[in-house]
Amino acid sequence: MKITCVAALVALSLAAGSASAEVKFNGFASIKAGMTSAEDENLYGYDNSVDYKNESLFALQAQSELGNDLSVTAQLVSRGSDDFSLEFEWAFLTYQINDEWRVNAGRLRTPFYKYSDFRDVGYAYDWLRTPQSVYDLGFDRISGASLYYNTSIRDMQSSMQFIYGAYDGDVTLQGVVSPTKIDDIYGVTWELSQDWFGMRMAYLRGDVTIQADAFNPLFAALNATGQASVIKAIDFDKDAGSFFGFGMNFDRNDWLTVFEYTFVSVDDSFYANQDSYYLSLGHRFDKFTPYVSFEWDDDEIKPEIYEAMPNGHPLKSTVAGLVASRRVDSSTANVGFRYDFHSSAAFKFELTKAKDRLTMHRNNLVSVGVDVVF
Amino acid sequence: MNWFKVLLVPIALTSQLAAAEVAVIVHPSNAAAADQAEITRLFTGRGTTFAGGAKATPLNLAESAALRADFDSKVLGKSSSQMKAYWSKLVFTGKGTPPKELADDAAMKAAVAADPTAIGYIDASAVDASVKVIGKF
Repeated sequence: MKITCVAALVALSLAAGSASAEVKFNGFASIKAGMTSAEDENLYGYDNSVDYKNESLFALQAQSELGNDLSVTAQLVSRGSDDFSLEFEWAFLTYQINDEWRVNAGRLRTPFYKYSDFRDVGYAYDWLRTPQSVYDLGFDRISGASLYYNTSIRDMQSSMQFIYGAYDGDVTLQGVVSPTKIDDIYGVTWELSQDWFGMRMAYLRGDVTIQADAFNPLFAALNATGQASVIKAIDFDKDAGSFFGFGMNFDRNDWLTVFEYTFVSVDDSFYANQDSYYLSLGHRFDKFTPYVSFEWDDDEIKPEIYEAMPNGHPLKSTVAGLVASRRVDSSTANVGFRYDFHSSAAFKFELTKAKDRLTMHRNNLVSVGVDVVF
Repeated sequence: MNWFKVLLVPIALTSQLAAAEVAVIVHPSNAAAADQAEITRLFTGRGTTFAGGAKATPLNLAESAALRADFDSKVLGKSSSQMKAYWSKLVFTGKGTPPKELADDAAMKAAVAADPTAIGYIDASAVDASVKVIGKF
């Protein structure tokens, strides 16, 4: 269990705060189960046998007002995918400067996507899970500070978030969990919403460094054959990564529409330029909300990396293979429903058909779940 | 389409019978006016002051109180589940705290009568001189 300094501080001040101030506890939990339809199908960590652990989670949040507009919040999450070990998912201090401005500092969620902040809180949305073709960056935790600016523009609510911080953790690269640092992350998000319409934009950037030891033999061989520039074009060594996201949603007369588009790139690395988007349509019939959604992921590789190598170089095909492995062209369709069977709990069901458009392989997944808040 | 009217009349009657009239109340000394949009703003955490600039403390009824669902649907235009989902988004991301909850009309009336910043709601039939009604829904 990793605890950052800030997280530890927050935990300490919560403990200290409990003596004088009131500590509020809230929580949420999701129990999810799923299985694919055939032996050769794998999706989102599920295979052909029923699994109850993979996406199940329990979370408890403690919040304490320390007076003078200062408060402290810690959220502990226990995930089945992590053998239910406890982690501080969020741990931060909040200073409410005035009605419009607020600062959060500590361990936060990186606000990449529209549903990033509350993606663990299944009760807060209708889907069984957020669209995975889009919500697929392997990390979304940040240590740093966030400045929020909330105002009204006519009948619209405007919410801006400025964030600065760093990520120090792991990213799965070519199937290998690799130590990763993303420094100097800064970004801005802007959300405009009113009763039935919302719009969101996000831009973030950071310097990406990934320690991928599996690449060392290849890099040594490239270096020995005078291809140091190719190494630079492949590896992640303080390379500028950027993220752009755009989202819209409508909720009118019980019709629900959500659309989100994201673009991710990392300069001077073999990471493909990722375009992904989804469209979801649902209808609320009181407690019953059926929906359909479609997702697309189209990742363009960078052939210029191996095209720069001399013809006949013994490693050219190896490099070309590595670069080509990042190509993704997939589409996914989901159909499901949410049923509010209890005032604090929702039952969800979802069928997913994911198609790899390069190999034409299909993965079919059926998932059920219960999301609660307390 | 007579069968249609026959069906509609009892439905209209039942829904009127089932839904009590919600009276939104403040402290008698509070001169602020608040329309439905203003009340919604205060009860969704998007505003913390009355139109005149004075601090506002919204008070909610607990979910177990029957009038809560009426308030959520008639005034806020949402179901109680939708409101709970709305608050989960804010609570678990450190962006807001839902209004304090009181058990019933009597507790609500006493709390509003005792706090000049309070805004709450009770069944219109329970209103007396200890509180001031600023809107009925």
